[in-house]
Amino acid sequence: MQAIDHHAWTNHWRDRHPLEKLLPALSLLVLTLALPPLRIGPLVLAGTMLATVYGAGIPLKTTLSVLAAPAAFLLAGVPFLAISLRFNDGFSLHFSPEGLQLALETSVRALAAVSCLSFLTLTTPLADWTPLLRRVGIPAGIVELILLVYRLIFVFAERALTGRQAQTARLGYSRLDRSVRSLGLLTGSLFQRSLEQARRLEIGLAARGYSGDLRVLQPERALSWPWLLWAMTLVGLVGLAGYWI
Amino acid sequence: MTAPLLALCGVDYTYPGGVMALHGLDLTVAKGRKLAILGANGSGKTTLLLHLNGTLQPTRGEILLSGQPVRYDRRFLTDWRRRVGLVMQEPEDQLFAATVGQDVSFGPLNLGLTIGEARERVAEALTALQINELADRATHTLSFGQKKRAAIAGILAMRPELLALDEPTAGLDAHGVAYLLDALQQLHAAGATLVFATHDVELAYAWADQVAIFHEGVVLRQGETAAVLADIEVMSRARLRPPLLLELAQLLREECGDEVWRPPRSREVLLAQLRERLRVGRDGRCYG
Repeated sequence: MQAIDHHAWTNHWRDRHPLEKLLPALSLLVLTLALPPLRIGPLVLAGTMLATVYGAGIPLKTTLSVLAAPAAFLLAGVPFLAISLRFNDGFSLHFSPEGLQLALETSVRALAAVSCLSFLTLTTPLADWTPLLRRVGIPAGIVELILLVYRLIFVFAERALTGRQAQTARLGYSRLDRSVRSLGLLTGSLFQRSLEQARRLEIGLAARGYSGDLRVLQPERALSWPWLLWAMTLVGLVGLAGYWI
Repeated sequence: MTAPLLALCGVDYTYPGGVMALHGLDLTVAKGRKLAILGANGSGKTTLLLHLNGTLQPTRGEILLSGQPVRYDRRFLTDWRRRVGLVMQEPEDQLFAATVGQDVSFGPLNLGLTIGEARERVAEALTALQINELADRATHTLSFGQKKRAAIAGILAMRPELLALDEPTAGLDAHGVAYLLDALQQLHAAGATLVFATHDVELAYAWADQVAIFHEGVVLRQGETAAVLADIEVMSRARLRPPLLLELAQLLREECGDEVWRPPRSREVLLAQLRERLRVGRDGRCYG
């Protein structure tokens, strides 16, 4: 998570208007879902990988490791699609060609779709999405909540980490029963600290005139129409290639 | 005589649990001064600071803002907090937005400024603390010192007349402290009144022109820095030690019997004076 966040804030396309990234990525996603997966899937996967690694300058290793988690899920679940259960005499497991086809299609489609989303998460920090979220009509309260949660995740992740390190230093995780106990204590103290933190944050915000909404300046980014046009043309070519090949 | 910017008269404060934190406290903050509120750990300095911007309301006593008794309705509080900016000890308690620039813009937007004006205020505050390059950085990737400066910039962007800081140097290294004091000095030169709560007598001695010694809910003595810090009785009652610089200077003065010698305010000045004395000493005129 830290790695994704780091790259989202520092990649080459960080300062691009979020729409310039969102529209092509969503279009690729739609193509992936609409066209025959074995043809369009590899093309979309290649396209998003190229954009992430060469365009946005995110290391191949990071990009692959982000895809590794969903890939592992697929690996665990998909093989069962290729196997069918029959009850002719008694019951038996069968390996069917149609099942294999289905498993392959599902994997490629899922992976290609995930690659579109991982392109977005790796190139655009959460904070950049807020103007868009507001634009599409999500209430201000919800958007503020998303941003606060985003900010506080890092505060509490650090507390949890240092807390765990301090417990480890006093041998809190040296045996299974101690580990369970330590983890319980840590969780409890984190809840307590979250409440205190919330109270103090309220005082801090009140000192700055907080009166119910968390309004801040939004980054001003010009939408580059030529860039968007180029990107969408490329997406169109991918779509055509997937359709004709 | 014009009324002081902020005055606390006979203020009591009892926490909801029944713990009495302030007990007949008097404090005056004059315009354009640098006031240090000195107290040992746990003496209630933070509680006192929370009264300066109306976060806590005294259970008894009076607070005057420019000679006017304060009120605790929303309109008055808004104006009060615009005029008195409070920087908390823990920057994490103040920073909530994703980037530094966004966080700093929060106060100005709450003042009802336009986007353009808010943008100007952000640039101005970031420049004052020399952190322009952090404007687009994610808040959670900053170092502690950077977070501290970002938190101060967030208050500064509201252009307060009085800037109150809770333990401003806590957790900073020597370089960070020098950097911060330099920025605060420039603000002071530009007309800001500064108050900081600290347990660091050396800092108060080097930096403040007025000191209030705070102990067990009361201000024992408020006055000019050198005079108050040399008051052994008050200092020991508040569990504080006079600054080393002052003690050394006094020792030298007693030994040399030099009445006109002004106590040095910084270690550089003390070192220069010591060097001077030692040279004089070799000539047989001082130490013999």
